[in-house]
Amino acid sequence: MEKVLLKNMENPNSADINEYKKIGGYKNIPKAFEFQPKEIIEEVKLSGLRGRGGAGFPVAMKWTFASAYPNFPKYLLCNADEGEPGTFKDRPILEKNPHLLIEGMVISGYAIGAEYGYIYLRGEYPHAKDVLNKAIAQAYDNGLLGDNIFNKGVRFHLTVHQGAGAYICGEETALIESLEGDKGQPRIKPPFPVNVGAFSKPTVVNNVETLSNVPYIIEVGSEAYSKIGSQECPGPKLYCVSGHVEKPGVYELPMGTVLRDIIYMHCGGIKGGKRLKAVIPGGATTPILPAEKIDCPMDFVNMPKHGSMLGSGAIIVMDESVCLVKVCYRILKFLEHESCGKCTPCREGTGWLRSILGRIENGEGAEGDIDLLLSVSGNMAGKTFCPLGDGAASVTQNFIKHFRNEFEEHIKRAKCVMRNE
Amino acid sequence: MITININGKEIKLEKSVTVLEAAKAAGIKIPTLCWHEQLGQYGGCRLCLVEIEKIPKLQTACTLMVTEGMVIRTETEQTAEARRGMLEFLLINHPLDCPICDKAGECELQDLVEKYGAISGRFREKKRKIPESFADPLIVRNMERCVMCTRCVRMCEGVQGASAIGVIDRGGHSHIEPFSGGRYDCEYCGNCISVCPVGAIMSRMHKHSYRPWQVTGKTETICPYCGVGCTLVLQVRDNTIKRVIPRIGSPVNNGLLCSRGRFGYEFVGSKERLTTPLIRKNGVLEEATWEEAISLVANKLSDIKAKSGSDAIAGIASPRCTNEDNYVFQKFMRTTIGTNNIDSTARMGFAGAQAFMENIFGQGATANIISGLANSDTVLVVGGDPTTANPIFGLQVRACSRKGGNILTVGQMKGLEYFNPVKADPFLYTEEVLLEGIVTALIGKKGLPGANLTLEAKIKDINTSLDDVEKKCGVPAKELARFVDILAASATPALLIGKEIVQSSGASYKLLLLSAINYLANGRIYLLSERSNEQGLLDMGCAPDLLPGYRPVASAEFRKRYETLWDTKLNEKTGLTIFEMMDAASRGSLKALYVMGENPAFNLPNSSAAATALRNLEFLVVQDIFLTETAKLADVVLPALSWAEKDGTFTNMERRIQRVRKAVNRGGMEDWRIISDISKNMGVKLNYADTEKVFHEIAAVSPLHRNLTYEDIEDGHAIYPYKGEPLRDVMEEILTSKGKAARSTGKLYLRIERPLFHSGTLSTKAPALVKIYSRAVARISAETAASLSLDEGDIVRITTKAGAIELPVSIDKAADSSTVMLTNNFEGQGAYSLMEYTIDPVTKTPVLEGVEAKIVKMTGT
Repeated sequence: MEKVLLKNMENPNSADINEYKKIGGYKNIPKAFEFQPKEIIEEVKLSGLRGRGGAGFPVAMKWTFASAYPNFPKYLLCNADEGEPGTFKDRPILEKNPHLLIEGMVISGYAIGAEYGYIYLRGEYPHAKDVLNKAIAQAYDNGLLGDNIFNKGVRFHLTVHQGAGAYICGEETALIESLEGDKGQPRIKPPFPVNVGAFSKPTVVNNVETLSNVPYIIEVGSEAYSKIGSQECPGPKLYCVSGHVEKPGVYELPMGTVLRDIIYMHCGGIKGGKRLKAVIPGGATTPILPAEKIDCPMDFVNMPKHGSMLGSGAIIVMDESVCLVKVCYRILKFLEHESCGKCTPCREGTGWLRSILGRIENGEGAEGDIDLLLSVSGNMAGKTFCPLGDGAASVTQNFIKHFRNEFEEHIKRAKCVMRNE
Repeated sequence: MITININGKEIKLEKSVTVLEAAKAAGIKIPTLCWHEQLGQYGGCRLCLVEIEKIPKLQTACTLMVTEGMVIRTETEQTAEARRGMLEFLLINHPLDCPICDKAGECELQDLVEKYGAISGRFREKKRKIPESFADPLIVRNMERCVMCTRCVRMCEGVQGASAIGVIDRGGHSHIEPFSGGRYDCEYCGNCISVCPVGAIMSRMHKHSYRPWQVTGKTETICPYCGVGCTLVLQVRDNTIKRVIPRIGSPVNNGLLCSRGRFGYEFVGSKERLTTPLIRKNGVLEEATWEEAISLVANKLSDIKAKSGSDAIAGIASPRCTNEDNYVFQKFMRTTIGTNNIDSTARMGFAGAQAFMENIFGQGATANIISGLANSDTVLVVGGDPTTANPIFGLQVRACSRKGGNILTVGQMKGLEYFNPVKADPFLYTEEVLLEGIVTALIGKKGLPGANLTLEAKIKDINTSLDDVEKKCGVPAKELARFVDILAASATPALLIGKEIVQSSGASYKLLLLSAINYLANGRIYLLSERSNEQGLLDMGCAPDLLPGYRPVASAEFRKRYETLWDTKLNEKTGLTIFEMMDAASRGSLKALYVMGENPAFNLPNSSAAATALRNLEFLVVQDIFLTETAKLADVVLPALSWAEKDGTFTNMERRIQRVRKAVNRGGMEDWRIISDISKNMGVKLNYADTEKVFHEIAAVSPLHRNLTYEDIEDGHAIYPYKGEPLRDVMEEILTSKGKAARSTGKLYLRIERPLFHSGTLSTKAPALVKIYSRAVARISAETAASLSLDEGDIVRITTKAGAIELPVSIDKAADSSTVMLTNNFEGQGAYSLMEYTIDPVTKTPVLEGVEAKIVKMTGT
């Protein structure tokens, strides 16, 4: 398959505007400007593009809401706050292909009527910040950003805003709060950002990868685009694979590539020829899958049918040597640390779960602890303010669902059964 | 119309509201912690989870809007389990120290746990430990008890507008902390304490001194401090006020308080209170019995009246006393004594300004509803910062800004600095030119409406261009043009007038200009009032020219009416103002003075001269709760009851009559009863069975209060003109006298600072307020400090023509470099002692501008 998102990656100067132009970059902006904004939204709708941040929300629908809402100005925010353990799929675009994102944002901004865009960049991506700022400066110099892009009277300004390190700011309303200078905590919805978002104006928040798909849709048209990958949610997809595989990394593959193929065909199988134990397929908070359940097409529609979620496409592969109680503990520790503290179940529940898991892992588990974990996570599930707390509950429940034995062994033998002591 | 179903009950709603509001309207209570009726939704506590048909997950009632046909169940096994789960989460790190927590008994968490109950403890981990913070003298923070509802933060930022506290850290480490660190650097309104559902933020004043259920009395009364008239609930145990809290739904303050109202009550129980009458014997005040004291006063006053005539005696009434006290006092002066020599410190500004405005706009022109201010599209503030003079009223100005209204300020208004004011800050003493400029520009923009030709005749020739203003006042013409544009475009402007502009030279001319602005912009007027019953005492006729209900003494017709009602012969001569009394006392023509609840030796400008005048009197009676500077000079001192110890009424600055209710028992008599006893001893009966009977007479005598009863006042909705008739007199000629700009460059001028935490000397007897504002300072600009090589806290001697005092300096970067600011609150350190004054011929108010001061650093300090 022709690379769309990771095109020109082998070129060490791929982030330079001239190199990007050499491979046909920025030619989709004038092409897009020949259409009415509504027509572009229609084209994106026909393409079937769904948000790549994790929720898989139809992009055109979001755009229509924001574009139809009568307030001005409107804002286009790029969510580049990729911070979940195991997720690094946007990083190559940000660091090596920034002009693709800028091109996508100019077109998207034009489509929804936004004249201002912000890239909310993860605080721990300092290199990406420099790359983006340089690319944005080049784009301004080349008349690709500013008050009169391509002399077509289209106005779009773009700024990079660096986050301060909070995972929760990847949640779109917390991102907006943070962008506005407030503490990063999610907002009550409704009103939704498409109506009342950044600075109380209609706002579209899209993921880096999502926006980077837009130029290609303009280039080849919705029909050709929709033929890539899964029928229900087509297009190229970035899968970032980490853990015990021979060749970890970011892979651009058609949406719906089967998880087993990603691991064994593309990534060269399990490192050192060991046995696969489990996979977390879509970022740390998506439900874990045991080795025997990886014959699932990785897309938004099929993954739930197989008991997990596509999430961000961050695949964490774990071999037989891994202690899953410890992994569970480590994820909960992360979520406890990143809980914003706004709602009761997440603020108190994540820490409690982490604490129990820590005890079990350290051989201090008590009988009834597994039921306690399930009860506490049950009290959180579906009752938290935003998906972070829900994720914590789901992680705990799914680890126990598939690997209850391992938890029980830890308690029974009063030690970590995976450690060689 | 939306039809929904809650717990099987069909409910029809006019518009979509939240599930919580809909349930509330239907009388169904859904538990909440973070939601608060003053603060709205937050969605954090997750206790209001309810079941909605066709929605799989439980939903928070506080955030979900109802839609047509929605079926809601608020109390099911599922919701109870969810709430039990939330309460368990809240309790795992909660210290469960209810036995030593002052909140126990009125703790919302405790109540909810009692209702939904966690079955047993399952938390085996270590609890979060955060030591209780005692870094602040008044507010104690216990973050182990905090449930992170953030009500306090939302109150501080969204309602009070102080933005002094925030949520620090995140997740399980989240805690509330003042941005200033341990000690608060805030307005000390304590409204964070009011809204805290648990024992996390509490007042230190009553810590460990009682349990909420041990309160034996809860008395709703009116605050004794400023003219806003906030409702206070006094909680009493063992005949001592333990706590002051607000009530949501009360007419003026609706659940809010300021520092003075909340923390300033301890003077009631002060050991310094006067307990027995004192009589001066051989130059020393000695304890005496009531009989002795009362007969001495009666005899002395009778003698002087016989010897020197009624007009040789005068009375000073009190803006801190009730309407009933003041009514009886003026009646005593007018009937028993037979003089109109009765006045008060309302003469310092309020009375004159009100009379001036009422002459132009009609009686009751300043009776505008406080709570309506927030809905104005523009608020123009002149002559005083409402956020310090009248804090709860100031919140209305802030709310107005928050709602998108324009705030226009003339002069520095620190409390409004963060509320996006459009400022016109003229050079010292040049307000007159600035106001002329505004009037000229407004006439140019809007023309003269032709409704009040007398007023228009006075203003039509004013011609001061914005460029003139720029030259003389230093306010850029462009900025002032914007200021005027906003005012001109405004549909519902309000004009707030503080004391300082009324105490300046040419006060009457400035009031004319302000009237013109109000007239041209079609606004409404609010007069800031610093005393709780300043308005009421004027209503009661404690003025040398007005009888109760503002009927002029000069009118024979009205005199006759009152003579019939009071069965007496009234003196037709207009009496002396408070300043004229001081002059007459110095000259020796005034022989005796009866001072009720006032402290002229401190509260009048050039107070040392006032004290000298008082010493010159043949007989001085002071009736007060403390041995004030004035009381120390008295021949007889009569101990009075404080506001918490008596019944009565106060009338606030918007002219709302409200009930003052007795909360604490103390031997002794109300002010009116003491006076009535003296009157009886002088052979004139002023007998009333109780305070209510006094009010009956007020209602019978004052045409303004006609037929009003305590029952009518009960709920706080007795608003001007009550059931009575204002006097719709023909407008008199508008007299004005222009000011003389008295400023020369390079000199320092003394100005009065009115701090948020103090009011008169009363607040200095309240230890809590002293803790947060403990001493008088001389506030100077950084420029002045630099030129005199002064550092913060250096002791300086401030000298004016009237005297000198020594004070530490406080350097304020924002201060005007031509001024030194002094308060008039602390004993022996009052600004007034340094201020000589003249009297404005029209408003009869003192002119306190142009007081040159010299500052010298004291060495060896």
